[in-house]
Amino acid sequence: SWRRERKPPSGNAKAEPALPSSANQSKAVSEKPNYALKFTLEGHTEAVSSVKFSPNGEWLASSSADKVIIIWGAYDGKYEKTLKGHNLEISDVAWSSDSSRLVSASDDKTLKLWDVRSGKCLKTLKGHSNYVFCCNFNPPSNLIISGSFDESVKIWEVKTGKCLKTLSAHSDPVSAVHFNCSGSLIVSGSYDGVCRIWDAASGQCLKALVDDDNPPVSFVKFSPNGKYILIATLDNTLKLWDYSRGRCLKTYTGHKNEKYCVFASFSVTGGKWIVSGSEDNLVYIWNLQTKEIVQKLQGHTDVVISAACHPTENIIASAALGNDKTVKLWMSTY
Amino acid sequence: MAHRGGERDFQTSARRMGTSLLFQLSVHERELDLVFLDHSYAKPWSAHPDASSARPTRMLFVTPRRQHESTIESDVPIDVETVVSTPVPLYDNQKARSVMNECERHVIFARTDADAPPPPEDWEEHVNRTGWTLAQNKLFNKILKALQSDRLARLANEGACNEPVLRRVAVDKCARRVRQALASVSWDTKLIQWLHTTLVETLSLPMLAAYLDALQTLKGKIPTLIDRMLVSSNTKTGAAGAEALSLLLKRPWDPAVGVLSHNKPSKLPGSPLILIASSGPSSSVFPTSRRHRFWQSQLSCLGKVVPVATHLLPGGSGAGVLQCLEHMVGALRSKVLEIHSHFPHKPIVLIGWNTGALVACHVSVMEYVTAVVCLGFPLLTVDGPRGDVDDPLLDMKTPVLFVIGQNSLQCHPEAMEDFREKIRAENSLVVVGGADDNLRISKAKKKSEGLTQSMVDRCIQDEIVDFLTGVLTRTEGHVGSEPRDQDAEKKKKPRDVARRDLAFEVSERGSRPASPAAKLPASPSGSEDLSSVSSSPTSSPKTKVTTVASSQKSSQIGSTQLLKRHVQRTEAVLTHRQAQAQFAAFLKQNMLVRKALPPGTSSCLFEQTEEAEKEELRVQLKRHHPSSPLAGSKTCKRPKIKVSLISQGDAAGGPCAPSSGAAPEAAGGKPLTMTLGQASTGAAELTGLLATAKSSASEGGVSASQASSVVSSSASPSALHTLQSRLVAPSSGGSLPGAASASSLLQGLSFSLQDISSKASGLPASPSPGPAPQAASVKLPTPAQSLGAVTTGAGSIVRAVPVATALSSLGATPGGKPTAIHQLLANGGLAKLASSLPGLAQISNQASGLKVPTTITLTLRGQPSRITTLSPVGTGAAPSEEPASQVLPSNSQFCYLARTT
Repeated sequence: SWRRERKPPSGNAKAEPALPSSANQSKAVSEKPNYALKFTLEGHTEAVSSVKFSPNGEWLASSSADKVIIIWGAYDGKYEKTLKGHNLEISDVAWSSDSSRLVSASDDKTLKLWDVRSGKCLKTLKGHSNYVFCCNFNPPSNLIISGSFDESVKIWEVKTGKCLKTLSAHSDPVSAVHFNCSGSLIVSGSYDGVCRIWDAASGQCLKALVDDDNPPVSFVKFSPNGKYILIATLDNTLKLWDYSRGRCLKTYTGHKNEKYCVFASFSVTGGKWIVSGSEDNLVYIWNLQTKEIVQKLQGHTDVVISAACHPTENIIASAALGNDKTVKLWMSTY
Repeated sequence: MAHRGGERDFQTSARRMGTSLLFQLSVHERELDLVFLDHSYAKPWSAHPDASSARPTRMLFVTPRRQHESTIESDVPIDVETVVSTPVPLYDNQKARSVMNECERHVIFARTDADAPPPPEDWEEHVNRTGWTLAQNKLFNKILKALQSDRLARLANEGACNEPVLRRVAVDKCARRVRQALASVSWDTKLIQWLHTTLVETLSLPMLAAYLDALQTLKGKIPTLIDRMLVSSNTKTGAAGAEALSLLLKRPWDPAVGVLSHNKPSKLPGSPLILIASSGPSSSVFPTSRRHRFWQSQLSCLGKVVPVATHLLPGGSGAGVLQCLEHMVGALRSKVLEIHSHFPHKPIVLIGWNTGALVACHVSVMEYVTAVVCLGFPLLTVDGPRGDVDDPLLDMKTPVLFVIGQNSLQCHPEAMEDFREKIRAENSLVVVGGADDNLRISKAKKKSEGLTQSMVDRCIQDEIVDFLTGVLTRTEGHVGSEPRDQDAEKKKKPRDVARRDLAFEVSERGSRPASPAAKLPASPSGSEDLSSVSSSPTSSPKTKVTTVASSQKSSQIGSTQLLKRHVQRTEAVLTHRQAQAQFAAFLKQNMLVRKALPPGTSSCLFEQTEEAEKEELRVQLKRHHPSSPLAGSKTCKRPKIKVSLISQGDAAGGPCAPSSGAAPEAAGGKPLTMTLGQASTGAAELTGLLATAKSSASEGGVSASQASSVVSSSASPSALHTLQSRLVAPSSGGSLPGAASASSLLQGLSFSLQDISSKASGLPASPSPGPAPQAASVKLPTPAQSLGAVTTGAGSIVRAVPVATALSSLGATPGGKPTAIHQLLANGGLAKLASSLPGLAQISNQASGLKVPTTITLTLRGQPSRITTLSPVGTGAAPSEEPASQVLPSNSQFCYLARTT
């Protein structure tokens, strides 16, 4: 699929020599971040597909086309462990709210539930009839949601590993699924160009968001408070929607995104930014309110497929495809 | 007039703002109150300047329209972080969560083989489907799907702020799907019994809990069918499991438990008679809807309720609609006249649902009544809205309150406003947001606002009380009855006492034979075993009596309400007693009149439950039974039997004794427990004895220091002895609360029940050695109930047992065979009591459409501040709110019994 390519392994985080930042400087520049590369995490042997910080801020998980998940220290980029078990490439990985579990979505049509501490696979969720492409926990972490190339969204019970509900309302592969902060809603995006909001309890579709020309939706997620959703489409555009009113509020452009399902994120620890990878090997940072690009992070040598923001610190993790295969940690004073 | 109205608005608003729970419930919709508080001349936007009689509309749970933002969003900073704080649930969240998880906690009781390991999480793979028929597979899959959806809803709602309401909605949905699945096989007995057994055996515990929740819900709706389903498993399982299961399934839980019972509606001033107009001809085939029955009992918290039913004439299929309507109006009108002639000063309030509301309005034009309340007013007709120039309703002069649903089909708020401006009578309008014609709110509304129907109903009731209080207070001046103090704070008014004393009074009166048909107790105390009354040879099973139907909940609310007040017998009471006695006589006479009427005409029965509640013990026996012209071996009586176990320590703040048996109230002097024996007997009421049955409700004060008074006021000393000994005996050997294994708890439970039964059999046995109902010949279930309350002050082990027990039992098995109450109970314990009674009700023939919802409710209630011990065995700490009393898991078992406390 899209998110990966291949290359050989290694296993260490290379620390960048020095930090150019200074606090005075950043304040003076008024509301602009000063992210700088801190660590380059090498270990994956193929394209990295996804990076996620654990909710407690301790860890960073990265999934890759080399069929493994690697856990890294979130602050120092230190290699912690590798979770092995999938037979094919992994497209996505997600943390449970208590940071003790991981779920991964793989091309082997299964999801796997992992215990992070022991590194063991607890459950294998079988049911999809094609590549599983995206996954997430709900806030109480008793449910897992997954989207697949079989065009369905499935809701799984964590405890039993059983599929409780299959939502089939997309007519193309599902590219992203996400729960809102209260766990009452699910948003799913698909290549058919539609974003759907679902009632998590009943599995009923509450709303479908469609833009005028419906470009394939490559990524979608709720804002931290669940009031808005961020939608990435394969026409080089990110949009912030007020879904309750069905209105697009903000549009973020300037990056390149036409081919891959690139992750985007809300950065709320310092200034309020939108962070996204890009197919021009950069990480883009926009001001959420003004929509202007406030910083571009250079360093990767391939498509930046994933960018994630640390829950409490001004840290961005980014990961790139097969030419690069690394995960990079960026830090900012603002 | 206008000024007075304004003044009143101000007063009620101020009061409501300060005190009412319902203000909290619907706080957003009460800006009206704020307006009135502002200035004396402030007018709400909805005031009718040209029609001063139309008071401003009140909105209940009507979501205000969202204001459209005119500004373009680009300028507005977007906050992606701040989570809108979720509103605090309007109910007692902790309690709601506790009752919500009842089935989960006790799911193990449903398992047939409790010792075997529960099915694994992947039980689905282990289900052996070999040998299943196609129908079985299909049914099983349907149920499974329903349960899976329910599971999803549970998990998704976990931790939500209004989780109990969401869960309730989800469970209702699951129950509906299960019911549909079962209906799809036409409730084929074999198939559904197989299904139940299979599910119980194979489902994993969480799924089984969900299944039980669904069963619990359905049991409240279609008890007979569910019982039929459970029969096989009950016989197979151990007695303990069966008992617990039947307890568990007794009544669906309600998230609003607690809230409503802690905030009780108050009685209306002036003790008005509330006449409920029927909204259509009733017949045994189509009994009044459950909702109407429920409301009937709700209203009975406010005052005397008299449902006026209109029956189809025999062979009345040819009767036209117009005739029927005339009949309904006539019935109500004659009832009004009747009351007028007997009680010229008694205020009369007419209440009706839908068509009944219309009937009530029309009657109010013809006869003088104090007020009219229209619930779900059918404003829109095929010819357009009512209120044309020739509409007689425009001539109404009686104050009228309209309560309509926002989404009602027969009415529209705006059309209603137009209509209201045309009526000359003082009128008010309450719009219930998201509600339909029957004032039921939608599921979406429940979800989004965290409401339950019970909460909404209470708010509606509150509005009714507000309206009626205003009207009644004013009319009192005109009528010139006793001067009333309107101050809401002064709850302990003599007249309150007097009213509450009615039952007592009636029972006193009962000792003087007032009705020739009544077989009255000879003892001056009036405490007679009522089963003997029931066996009166004059009983006739064929006569029909329409009873005030009441649902458990509301009546419990009423009872708790009154429980809180302590009786003060003052001299002043006596005069009231006389008045009440007069009233009781009227009731009695009324019954006789009823009886004389041919079957098919309306009849009524006065409910007195709320009246008798100062007693610390009480038994309620209520029943609904549609009048049934069928007089076969199968009767259509639908007894609703409610047994309340209410224990209440007198010594508030006394030692909270988590350990068994110790009562907080050993201190003497005060009456510790009171006894109220009350019975209505099926046979007796047929002969018009109902009033008598009521009148023979007995009450005795039993005090530790006044053992002799006990003796005199209760049936006989020997009976008391029996009671005491039985109470003490199990207590000495009783298990300790600490050792609370499931089985021992269950044992304890049944012990206590047996104990109750023994008491019950003890008391009635002495006055009439043959407690077995002799009405067996007519094959009528003869509910007799008696209640013993015992406090032993001398027991060495158990010093005092503040046990309030009540027992109601039926003397006939489904087969029509009479069974002695005590045998039934002593042998079977609670479960038998529980399971056999509905069984009795199953007499009715489901196929013919005669549904017989029989509900037996055992209620154990304790005052929150007091510790109560139900059973000498120590199992039943009453569900008091003190943690100390919650030592036992078995508590929760009694929670089934006492959910509404």
